[in-house]
Amino acid sequence: MRFSVPRYWRERHSYYRLKAAKCLDCGRVTYPYTERCRFCGSSRVVEVELVNEKARLLTYTVIYSAGEGFEDKKPVVIGIVETEESKARLLARITDVDVEELKTGILLEPVLRRINEDGESGLIYYLIAYRPVLKTG
Amino acid sequence: MKPEELVGIVGWGSYIPRYRLPLSEITRVWGFNPEQPRELDVSEKSVAGLDEDSITMGWEAALNALRRAGVNPREIGAVWFGTESKPYAVKPSATVIAEALGITPSTMASDLEFACRAASEAMRISIGAVASGLVKYALVIGSDTAQANPGDVLEYTASSAATAFIIGPSGESAAIFEASYTYVTDTPDFWRRSVSPYPLHGEAFTGEPAYFHHIVGAVKGLMEKTGLKPGDFDYAIFHQPNGKFPVQVARMLGIPPEKVKPGLVTPMIGNSYNSSALIGLSKVLDEAKPGSRILLAPFGSGAGSDAYSIVVTDKVVEKRGRAPRVVDYLARKKIIDYAFYAKSRGLIKRIG
Ligand SMILES: [Zn+2]
Repeated sequence: MRFSVPRYWRERHSYYRLKAAKCLDCGRVTYPYTERCRFCGSSRVVEVELVNEKARLLTYTVIYSAGEGFEDKKPVVIGIVETEESKARLLARITDVDVEELKTGILLEPVLRRINEDGESGLIYYLIAYRPVLKTG
Repeated sequence: MKPEELVGIVGWGSYIPRYRLPLSEITRVWGFNPEQPRELDVSEKSVAGLDEDSITMGWEAALNALRRAGVNPREIGAVWFGTESKPYAVKPSATVIAEALGITPSTMASDLEFACRAASEAMRISIGAVASGLVKYALVIGSDTAQANPGDVLEYTASSAATAFIIGPSGESAAIFEASYTYVTDTPDFWRRSVSPYPLHGEAFTGEPAYFHHIVGAVKGLMEKTGLKPGDFDYAIFHQPNGKFPVQVARMLGIPPEKVKPGLVTPMIGNSYNSSALIGLSKVLDEAKPGSRILLAPFGSGAGSDAYSIVVTDKVVEKRGRAPRVVDYLARKKIIDYAFYAKSRGLIKRIG
């Protein structure tokens, strides 16, 4: 994924807060935020944030040949997750996990991570990723 | 009324990355004396992952503090980020965290630097800002991915972790400040020039004239100011560059080691710089009974120390369960070798 500075800035609430659109007609949630519901086409949507919701891992892929900017971060794990309350589906980086621990259905929680950067002098791109829920005792 | 008494810790939280490097790995790679880790009383150090830095770690610690505080992020009027491992030399870390936590735009935000005690200074500034009514709540974060020159003795302990506090009105607080005192001088014990990736330390200065002199100066200043005695404190938490110094400085002050032990985290994760003493306070707040009195004395090279007397309230109990505790992060760990550590800390340089 390539970022541009203006686009990253414009969409920072999608990246930091998981800003999404909840449809007032069909009730479903579209991420990232759009003016029109992706499911029923209604334009009656309100802004919601998914950053406080845990999520289930629906499916994932492990990328061993990730390209430019990700050479040091291999293997890169990308998943489709479904948030627990809003049932919104999104594509996200899965982090703090060993490939052997990956299983569909595991419970994840959002964390802010340093996903990419423009070389040593350019901007650093922070995004919400998901990691297996921390065990608390 | 003193400003401190109007102000307390409304929420607290920490973060420790999952990776741990056993110090025996550093001994093995650099050919050090195998006894050295035991002499430092540190067994493993925490290491940030490849997608982590002081901003991401500070974000999670601050999120945990916000959960315990239970306050609306928009009511926070200051975000002060203490670090010596800023991802950007120029561009505030505090604004990234403030934006990501929904605190922006009506807030102060900046990064503070004073080696390991910048976040502690932020805590004292917050007392003034909250007591004066300038802000209702301030968010103080200490976060570091501490750097060390490969093969330097500092590499044993320079580690990664973060701790954050929501400072606010005493009536809502889990612990109330009773008094505070700061002691600083110009001392060349440790520095990093802006062009250098790793710090240097003035070997002759690190112990006696720096760490011990300033912490003892700050704690004695606090005691003279308040009339409190060593025996009045149930817990004593000092800056923790290793596992030994805090116990030694406690002895110099007439405080027994069992009051230091509960807040001593460095033996398990190393020295997390701006989070070093503060993660000790975070752990003690996770465990202490209401009514306990805590002595907190962070230290930063350059050099200075702050001493605080903090009294735990009944509210600590209900707040505890709202976020993971320090022990939860201590329990989550993946042991790594020097090669993985070298890669994740950027010690390996490639071309092309
Ligand atoms: Zn719809």
